[in-house]
Amino acid sequence: MQFELLEHPADIGFRAFGTSVEELFANCAHALISIIFDPSDVAPVQQINLHAEGSDRESLLVNWLNEVLYYVDTRRLAFHSFAVSFTDPCLLNCSASGETRDPLKHPVRLSVKAVTYHQLKLSKQAETWFAEVYVDV
Amino acid sequence: MLTSEIVLEPLDQYRYRIPRNEAAGMRTHVLVFSSPALIGQTQKDLSLAQAMNVATLPGIVGPSLAMPDIHQGYGFPIGGVAATDMVEGIVSPGGVGFDINCGVRLVRSTLHRADVQPRMKQLIDQVFRDVPCGAGTEGRVKLKRGAIDEVLTRGARWMVENGYGDPGDTERAEANGTLKGALPNKVSDRAKERGGPQLATLGSGNHFLEIQYVDKVHDHPAAQTLGIEKDQVVVLIHSGSRGLGHQVCTDYVALMNQVMPKYGINLPDRQLACAPIQSDEGRSYLGAMAAAANFAWANRQGITHYLRDAFRRVFDDEVRLDLIYDVCHNIAKHETYVVDGRKRDVLVHRKGATRAFPPGHPEIPAIYSEIGQPVFVPGSMGTASWILVGQQGALNDSFGSVCHGAGRVLSRTAVRKGKNVQEERRKLEQNGILVRSESRDGILEELPEAYKDVDEVIEVVHNTGLAKKVARLRPMGVIKG
Repeated sequence: MQFELLEHPADIGFRAFGTSVEELFANCAHALISIIFDPSDVAPVQQINLHAEGSDRESLLVNWLNEVLYYVDTRRLAFHSFAVSFTDPCLLNCSASGETRDPLKHPVRLSVKAVTYHQLKLSKQAETWFAEVYVDV
Repeated sequence: MLTSEIVLEPLDQYRYRIPRNEAAGMRTHVLVFSSPALIGQTQKDLSLAQAMNVATLPGIVGPSLAMPDIHQGYGFPIGGVAATDMVEGIVSPGGVGFDINCGVRLVRSTLHRADVQPRMKQLIDQVFRDVPCGAGTEGRVKLKRGAIDEVLTRGARWMVENGYGDPGDTERAEANGTLKGALPNKVSDRAKERGGPQLATLGSGNHFLEIQYVDKVHDHPAAQTLGIEKDQVVVLIHSGSRGLGHQVCTDYVALMNQVMPKYGINLPDRQLACAPIQSDEGRSYLGAMAAAANFAWANRQGITHYLRDAFRRVFDDEVRLDLIYDVCHNIAKHETYVVDGRKRDVLVHRKGATRAFPPGHPEIPAIYSEIGQPVFVPGSMGTASWILVGQQGALNDSFGSVCHGAGRVLSRTAVRKGKNVQEERRKLEQNGILVRSESRDGILEELPEAYKDVDEVIEVVHNTGLAKKVARLRPMGVIKG
């Protein structure tokens, strides 16, 4: 399983998993865009490079997801997939694929204002990385 | 701390106290305005623990406050108020929230329920066409290059001067629709790019526009001053600073998380990230926040303009829509209070709380000086909303603040469970409420059962002397983002 959604009285969150930190960060991005629209309707017709940095792993995760949100909300991109790599533990590069958002093809499920630090969790248990993130909707 | 471990001492019928817990880093106690009927719901989520976390903020003055509509937020609870010392205290972007100057304006029409009822379907469809709503929607106001900084500096005034309103509109808004001290150069290009095209759009989530009628007048002299009477049709607009404000908050939460170690600040929740008010980062945030607040007032002003157009199309050019007032409920304001017998300059963070100044306060428009500042408290979709006026109790006990809504109790997923959108729409229509929504699930997520009883919330602020009931409003038509 890549991720599952979590309930919050006013907002919504997700718990994502990965066999590596790279996969975890990619699955978190996938969870975020799945809250906004259905990613299975998106075709990988264009490539885009994304970058994020943080002062530690938690802030990198929040900054990374806010970066994805900026491209969804402002650059009107619908993402299909994310290939994440790290040049340093707090510096992320991503080659993402997707297409320009089409309101008819990618109707909005829920609009996300921002990714928060609220009850943020990021750790490794046995061989699995997991993270919990809440977003403001 | 688990909610079950929180010590909650009843002070009287409508006030509870959580004593200061030094081991938890609290610098002050928490004062909760609630009632026996509401407090149980409040204890079901993390909101009281969040109000305790707010009590750990450096420079907090007086108690950390919880309004009766309090519910779990992120960092601050929604319905939380905290005042921090202007010299030694901090500013926390999370204490304002992602939707900077999310607020409510109420517009009165020259029509009555009987005039509108027969053409309600036509009216709601016209307003739905004319006022853009929904996630990421672009508005009809196209700003020329560089004009965005003018909007960020001058807010609603810029809109009125550029043809989007009546000259009197800005006299009837908190801060006259223009918060001083805006620094557009402290707003990132990303924030301007994200929010600029969304000017004069309603947005999504819990934002809405509701056509209502005055159901019951509780205070006739105050209602007369506000220009309303029973069965008069009014329109309530609930929206904020759209993507621009969201990005400003995102940018500054990230910045403050970076600089907190420099100032030796350590907090129980990173979403409370803050910096000293008098630091470069603190001043920059307050300048950017004021700019985003001005964008929100400009936004609600633009929506009002298109609303007027829609009413004129359906009725005639004689119909008038006059602004009663406009209040924000996500903001940080520099205000002065007497605390423990001493005059204090403080920054009041209102996160889901409305300013409620009493009669005679110098910041109230002269026309309302005798009755107190108008406060609007929207209920959940399909239930009542309220008009109140601020009272002296708010200055004495709550840093000039009251509640901002009904307060959510059920998650979006929980309220949707087992519900059918067509069926719910039909039920609302049977009760005389037409609903138009950009998103299919929007209606289900905002159903009345997701919220506390707004009437009970109002009883608390009325009976504690924070604000006084003037009139109750009932919906006829709702437009949801």
